[in-house]
Amino acid sequence: MESRRVTNYAYLFLIPALVGLLVFRLGPIAAAFGISFTNWNVIGVPEWVGFGNYLTMLQSGEFWFILQNTTVYALMYVPGVTVVGMGLAVLLNTGIRAAPFFRGLYFLPYITSTVAVTLTWRWIFSTRFGLLNNFLKWLGFTDPPAWLADPNWALIALATVSVWREAGFFMLLFLAGLQGIDPTLREAARVDGATRWQVFRYVTLPLLAPTTFFVIIIALVRSSQTFEVTFALTEGGPNQASTTLAFFIYQNAFIHFDMGYASALAYLLCILVGLATLVNFRLRRRWSYA
Amino acid sequence: MGLRHLIGVASGTAVLLGATAAVAQTKLTYMNWDPEQLEIEQSAIKEFEAANPGVEVEALAMPQKDYWPRLSALAAAGDLPDVFAMSSGFIQEWQASGQLADLSAYVGELDGDAYYSGAMDIARFGDGMYAFPQNWVAPVLYYNKTAFDAAGVPHPDADWTWDEFLEAAKALTTDSNGDGDPEQFGFWAYGRYAHIEPWIYRNGGQLLSDDRTQLAPDAAAIEALQFVTDLANVHGVAAQPQEMEGIRQQDVFPQGMAAMWVDGSWNINNVRKVAGDSFEWGIAQVPMGPSATADTARGYAWADMLAVAPNSEQSDLAWAFIQHMVGEGRSPSDFEAGKVPAYRAIAETDEWLERDEQPANKDVILNIGAQTTTTSFTPAWSKWRGYAATESGGMNGELDEVFNGRKTLDEAVAAFVEYGNGVLSQQ
Repeated sequence: MESRRVTNYAYLFLIPALVGLLVFRLGPIAAAFGISFTNWNVIGVPEWVGFGNYLTMLQSGEFWFILQNTTVYALMYVPGVTVVGMGLAVLLNTGIRAAPFFRGLYFLPYITSTVAVTLTWRWIFSTRFGLLNNFLKWLGFTDPPAWLADPNWALIALATVSVWREAGFFMLLFLAGLQGIDPTLREAARVDGATRWQVFRYVTLPLLAPTTFFVIIIALVRSSQTFEVTFALTEGGPNQASTTLAFFIYQNAFIHFDMGYASALAYLLCILVGLATLVNFRLRRRWSYA
Repeated sequence: MGLRHLIGVASGTAVLLGATAAVAQTKLTYMNWDPEQLEIEQSAIKEFEAANPGVEVEALAMPQKDYWPRLSALAAAGDLPDVFAMSSGFIQEWQASGQLADLSAYVGELDGDAYYSGAMDIARFGDGMYAFPQNWVAPVLYYNKTAFDAAGVPHPDADWTWDEFLEAAKALTTDSNGDGDPEQFGFWAYGRYAHIEPWIYRNGGQLLSDDRTQLAPDAAAIEALQFVTDLANVHGVAAQPQEMEGIRQQDVFPQGMAAMWVDGSWNINNVRKVAGDSFEWGIAQVPMGPSATADTARGYAWADMLAVAPNSEQSDLAWAFIQHMVGEGRSPSDFEAGKVPAYRAIAETDEWLERDEQPANKDVILNIGAQTTTTSFTPAWSKWRGYAATESGGMNGELDEVFNGRKTLDEAVAAFVEYGNGVLSQQ
């Protein structure tokens, strides 16, 4: 009887969160599906266009270009945060002194305000007055690139900032994973004469596989959501060369107020991330034992 | 909680409610996109409240990037402010969507000549008038007098030609340490509308077809685009936009990195603030192009307006507020330096001209407004032109590729015309 009452109270306290979820998350998600079949500028009456937005999207060169940017970005960001995050975690897990200090240090960029972070990076990357280019000139490079304004570099610059900023977060996930590995396994391998590299390659890495898998999925989702660094550093430029899907959705929704098109893009992004996750789940069987 | 206690609370609440009703206030809501402007307007708003007892104006301002999403959401909810700022770039879409009250009945009672006609015309659609101009703005040529004098170049005047402009720009590009990287460029521009369109219109060119439904840059427009982009690529007298990456575009001129710059008159405040006393500067109209005559050259100017919500329950009061904010009672100090009051009698005064401030020749702006003016605003303008957080796309993005030497003008024009017409055909 008493426990029943407790359960009822639990529901009561869950109501605010559930209402929030329904009204601010699930509601808009469902509405966006309907909106994606309309032409709607927010202030007027939506006009039904069937699959029009999806067709426009697939026939637009701009869309394919941005999809390509999104893919290239993911191919830099996901391996970037995975390798750097894992590397930092493994180094910190070797029992070096001041490990908590370094752990905090590497995590710091992740919790620093995006505005502060991107202002600093903007200055580092600035063509004429930037720290990076002045350093390169000092080294003897006479004509260093315009990192944020060159279509060959802008996306790479964004991915670099994101990896630097977020690797610390993935490091924490890996650290948690590493602490779940029984140290006696590594000690046994060492006793059997394995080198440090062999211990990492044949003991740590396979046992860390479930964490790695989780990290890759999360990194994939995060890479598809990239917005803040783009907004603050390049606004998608030059000539859309660093625009990825999430930023393109923002442009269409909140600059052009083309909500139908933006909703169609958002659903496509959702499907693509879903597919990539599915592929990962399939492949997982090949490389993860857990 | 006891019953007596409850009754106490309830009666207390009733007393409070009664007290509120006694000083019943009519609330007029007002929203604009310029927090600095609103700061200046506070005294005018207080005056309005004093003149209309019982009326309280609830004013709110936020930057444009927040203003439009917010205003759109309010419109969708049927909850627009009674009075809100409307731009020349978006008025067509807002009018077509039925979100602007027709003010023609009110406007009919006014002396139309008291206001700049160009600013009034932007709000007219058919027989209706869907907003009322508060101020208008125009791109001008900013020039660094100190640099001109140092280079021994005469200041720009009304007869300046493009050749003379180019000669001046060459003389003003200085590389004193000889590293091939000028410390001061003659000019600064990228693909932005306020940087580019003045040259097109001053050459008698047009970006749009006559019915304004298609992008169709004519020969004079292409000539202007070639001239401006060549300044960076052929003559080396303007920095490539990528060179200036990391510096706010509106700071290049006031920081002395370029001796000339074409952008909106609304930048006057920023130039004053950033340049300070470091050099003397003035403004001029963009020189007339070789393909234009005095008859075909056009000024480029547009209005910032105030509109009334179509479902406002107090449209008479809203109109009175608009008249108060833009009309007779205002003084030049109620407007930012580069914004010309739409009410002529306020603009055409020594107090607005501020001869003791820089630039000492603000009548250049008034002169542009007196000419035949034009714009290229269409529905979905932000998309094909590349504006705000989409500046890297559309026509702006393509022109930047030319400025940066990565595309020829022909390639860029072909690309932005095709893209723009795709956008416009969906409107």
